[in-house]
Amino acid sequence: MAGGVTPLQGGMLPDTIAGLLPFGGLAADVVASLLGAFLIANFLLINTAFAGPWAKRKITAAFTDRIAVNRIGPFGLFVIVADAVRLLSKELIIPEGADRPAWDLGPLLIPFSALLGFAVIPMGSGLQLADPETGLAFAFAASSIASLGLIMMGYASNNKYSLLGGLRAVASNIAYEIPLIVTGISVVLFTGTLQMSAIVEAQRTALVSVAGVTIPQWFAFVNPFAFALFVVANVAEVGRNPFDIPEAPTEIVAGYQTEYSSVYFVLIYLGEFIHIFLGGAIAATLFLGGPAGPGPAALGIVWFTAKIWAFFLLTQWLRSAVPRLRVDQFIEIGWKGMLVLSFANLVLTAVIVGVITTL
Amino acid sequence: MNSWIAIGALAVMGVGIPLGMMAVSALLRPSVPEQGKSATYESGEIPTGTATGIQFNIQYYMVALLFVVFDIETVLVFPWTVIYGSALEAGAGLATVLLPMLVFVGVLVVGLVWAWRQGAVKWTSSPRAARQKTERS
Repeated sequence: MAGGVTPLQGGMLPDTIAGLLPFGGLAADVVASLLGAFLIANFLLINTAFAGPWAKRKITAAFTDRIAVNRIGPFGLFVIVADAVRLLSKELIIPEGADRPAWDLGPLLIPFSALLGFAVIPMGSGLQLADPETGLAFAFAASSIASLGLIMMGYASNNKYSLLGGLRAVASNIAYEIPLIVTGISVVLFTGTLQMSAIVEAQRTALVSVAGVTIPQWFAFVNPFAFALFVVANVAEVGRNPFDIPEAPTEIVAGYQTEYSSVYFVLIYLGEFIHIFLGGAIAATLFLGGPAGPGPAALGIVWFTAKIWAFFLLTQWLRSAVPRLRVDQFIEIGWKGMLVLSFANLVLTAVIVGVITTL
Repeated sequence: MNSWIAIGALAVMGVGIPLGMMAVSALLRPSVPEQGKSATYESGEIPTGTATGIQFNIQYYMVALLFVVFDIETVLVFPWTVIYGSALEAGAGLATVLLPMLVFVGVLVVGLVWAWRQGAVKWTSSPRAARQKTERS
């Protein structure tokens, strides 16, 4: 069970790129890292470009029995280009009394934090930027930076709705972050390491074989209760329905983003979508075997993309199907329900792992 | 290769890409500042006062206080989960590895129960808000 996993070194994307460069040394490391980071960031930008202006509308339309973006290009796909140009060429309106530069830094922090989390995610097919021993802690820490951006946006906008939205965003992030992390580290009890590649590696062995079908030891199968808790906390952490009280369009207009237009609006949405994908990526890495799937290992990136899109689809499904919680219900579910359940899960997992190991 | 070089590179990209988008947008967008546009949005009314001067629910502060306690606890649980399995395999008994953490979590649960009973996680509404509530007795 634990301790049997050897830490993997090398095989990271920058190493691969550095091997192709005509020069060596520190310069090659830096150039290769920048190229690798550019590649990963663009992979996410492309996913977001599909998810934001196109897939979100298509999915919502399908759920509500309507027709969405179908005019420009095949399946309306060129609406992505049209929307990108449209949004970037909008006038930037700076509200009166905005607290700059905090007002400008907030929208920068959101995509920054979401992108940074992907540095340690193993995406399969050799696409992993870095693999520090503290990988899981880093991923959680990086994704938490977004809270800072949200409160900055809320406070600096000089708008009452923004301030309330920023406060709600922070209240929701902190209420659901502890269940998220405590449930996440209950997986570490099995793996004995925080290194992302080792967590994926620990899920490769077979759990059971039934009638020739081998079920891998994905922690979603080992501990489905933890997986369910993690997904719920994750949906709340990325602020999607039914936990979207920071935005709550029927209550506080658009929350912290009320006063943002033009490119800042794009950056906020970019960050939020990458954040959804980051949530899906952490869930996939911890519970769904990361890039594992049938077929050769080179297909890893395909399976990984499928898993993060499955989480995106779930958030959109919830958006169409589940009504929003009230803010008091939201806080009570977080602090009374999720927190207690996540600690119960941690203790139970520890007891079960302990009893199995010592027997 | 040191993995923090790659993480730093992604951090550079994480700042660079938004800045690039802001630069592109600055080239494309018009700028026609008018007072009516720059007024903050208050459902079409003329905004009154400043946003930072408003009063908001004390509960936001209470849950933030609670978070500090539990966040530090989470940080302390992290290393325990990492060594738990290997310590058991090395022959340490459950009483040495599991029991201290159970006591630790137990103390925090007592703290949560106390906060719960004090009403720290119960959403309170001010008497004025309760008076102004028109429906839903």
